[in-house]
Amino acid sequence: MPLLEVTGLRKSYGGHVAVDGVDFHIGEAETYGLLGPNGAGKTTAISMIVGILDRDAGEVVVDGQPLDVTSVKAKALIGYVPQELALYRDLTARENLRFFARLYGLGGGGLKARIEEILGIIGLTDRADEKVEQYSGGMARRLNIGIGLMNRPKLLILDEPTVGVDPQSRNSILESVQRLAGEGMAVLYTTHYMEEAERLCDRVGIIDQGRLRAEGTRRELVGLVGETDRVTMRAEGDLARAVEDLEKLPDVRRAESGDSQIELLVPDARTHLPRILETVAAAGAAVRTVEVREPDLETVFLHLTGKALRD
Amino acid sequence: MKILVIGLLNLRRLFRDRSNIFFVIVVPFLMIFMMGLMFGGGQPHRLGLVGGDGGPLAGRLATALAGREDVEVVPMATEDEVRTAVERGRVQGGVVIPSTYDADQRAGRQVQIRYMIRSNDMRALDVGTWVRSAVPREAALLRAARFGAAEGTTTFDQGLQVAQRAQVPGVEVQVTTAGRSVFPEGFSQFALSAPPLLLLYTFLTSLTAAIGLVETRLTGISARMYATPTTAWSIVAGETMGRLLIALFQGLLIMLGSGLLFQVRWGDPLAAAVLLAVFSMIGAGAAMVMASLFRTPGAAISLAAILGIGLGALGGTMVPLETFSPTMQTVAHFTPHAWGYEAFVTLVRHGGGIADVLPQLGALTAFAAVLLPLGAWLQRRAITR
Ligand SMILES: Nc1ncnc2c1ncn2[C@@H]1O[C@H](COP(=O)(O)OP(=O)(O)OP(=O)(O)O)[C@@H](O)[C@H]1O
Ligand SMILES: [Mg+2]
Repeated sequence: MPLLEVTGLRKSYGGHVAVDGVDFHIGEAETYGLLGPNGAGKTTAISMIVGILDRDAGEVVVDGQPLDVTSVKAKALIGYVPQELALYRDLTARENLRFFARLYGLGGGGLKARIEEILGIIGLTDRADEKVEQYSGGMARRLNIGIGLMNRPKLLILDEPTVGVDPQSRNSILESVQRLAGEGMAVLYTTHYMEEAERLCDRVGIIDQGRLRAEGTRRELVGLVGETDRVTMRAEGDLARAVEDLEKLPDVRRAESGDSQIELLVPDARTHLPRILETVAAAGAAVRTVEVREPDLETVFLHLTGKALRD
Repeated sequence: MKILVIGLLNLRRLFRDRSNIFFVIVVPFLMIFMMGLMFGGGQPHRLGLVGGDGGPLAGRLATALAGREDVEVVPMATEDEVRTAVERGRVQGGVVIPSTYDADQRAGRQVQIRYMIRSNDMRALDVGTWVRSAVPREAALLRAARFGAAEGTTTFDQGLQVAQRAQVPGVEVQVTTAGRSVFPEGFSQFALSAPPLLLLYTFLTSLTAAIGLVETRLTGISARMYATPTTAWSIVAGETMGRLLIALFQGLLIMLGSGLLFQVRWGDPLAAAVLLAVFSMIGAGAAMVMASLFRTPGAAISLAAILGIGLGALGGTMVPLETFSPTMQTVAHFTPHAWGYEAFVTLVRHGGGIADVLPQLGALTAFAAVLLPLGAWLQRRAITR
């Protein structure tokens, strides 16, 4: 029996469907990633899963217990780290931890020890008695995660926990998640960074416009695009026209222009590269750099949606 | 239990911010002080005095009139000056001693002392009671002295000294009202504005809970609380408990402080406290409803001010409810303030107890019973929708 089972999850705001029938499951000790761009519906889906948002349809079962907004028992199994810094800025780290711990029903002597333990894990022991408003962004992020760990959850749910942090903090956050997963915690992790999903997750679900487009291990997902390479060109000039012309080339599967860059999918890129560069130049654009990559999740995303993950 | 955890956290956060300490402690004391000024319990009554042409007997009367600690005699030059001072409320009463006072007294002629007050000034009643007891007491002494002089046993002045030493207890004049009066005896008209003021203030304080509620919702903290195994009811109850306690604490502080320092009457303490508690809960419920409707604390604070003052005015806490037209009185009873006002009137003016204000308490409890669950429901909906 999976630890988390999500079926037919659906939510719309007014006429806009934010989450459109999402199904997936997470096994014990598995790390599952939801990879998708801004506005894909990741936060909306997660909010329904942790029971802070009413759903229009669907079901969420955690460790055999159905969960909705009014559930109390099932919520005790989950540790939730929201995308925003949901912290009392006028309180210290220790006070924030203690408060949420008590809402999780922790108390007594174990509470104090647990707070110290968490402070150690998130590396805030030395500054535990400072107000959060004096923290750097990275420190606040780590505290945000620490609160989600207080209740030793069976399932840890993190919503883009590395947004807006420096590379060093980001790395330490990723390491923490890896370690927790290694200790047997199941993790649901959303991100729009392909590298994070590739590094952390046993399985990844690719989400766009409220729908799960594909799901599987990295290898399975990459297999979907076959032996296709991803070519990224930094370029200037009429990129739109260049893309139009590129799409007419045989073998070019997809082409996309973004902020002074063109991305395309093409099998065996190296043999096609001269013609690609010619086409771009002919369209009146000047190529500065070219990068050819083996297929990765970004390639998969482009393949599935025709869009770059980040735009 | 979790209600308490959340409530206490709110209190902790409230006291961490120094400006809130001002709001919680200093403002109630300002209120007490304000009430003190209004009731004048701590201020001396001022009595304008003119006449007597500097005669020693007139001087004695002036001294006698100044013989109460909270009465200050203000000598004046003319009767007109006294009248103007009374009219403008600079003095609560004016005493006019005829210029022939000494001579008439010694000659045993009838003397008329005139006492002027503003007819609608309740504090003047109190001074009047004093004047009406001080003057006859002096008259008794003078009568004794004159009796001695007439009998030929002493001179007038010697007789006066003897009479003075004899310390006749004198006659205290008691003014009583027959039947049931709108205002009890010796009752300052201003004392009427203390309970309404308290209602107005308590309600406003409770309404400000809306600001904190909007803030915790915006920061995602509320959502995070809902992600813990805590019921929606506990969260909402806890979130408002802090403010509720503050409103109650402030209310009781104002009641006690103004009662002790300025003799403001609040009636039966238990009934007053229960009234205040239910009233704060209504405010807290209204705060929750408001908080669920707004996306910014600024909008919430504006509506809190408008509602707090608007409902207060409509409910008769600014202009007394009794002065409203019958239609307006009916309208007023759609606000909790009118019921609170009525209840306090019963407690304060007529010495009622909790049993006498049951209808009003019932109405107030009904307000709370609707607003609190509605607020809790709306709050949950604002987060989980
Ligand atoms: N409360 C709301 N009211 C109306 N629309 C909403 C609301 N919350 C989300 N949406 C819409 O639903 C869609 C999905 O939003 P969601 O926040 O779930 O995306 P996301 O994948 O988490 O994006 P991001 O990476 O930017 O966090 C978006 O189009 C968003 O505008
Ligand atoms: Mg999001």
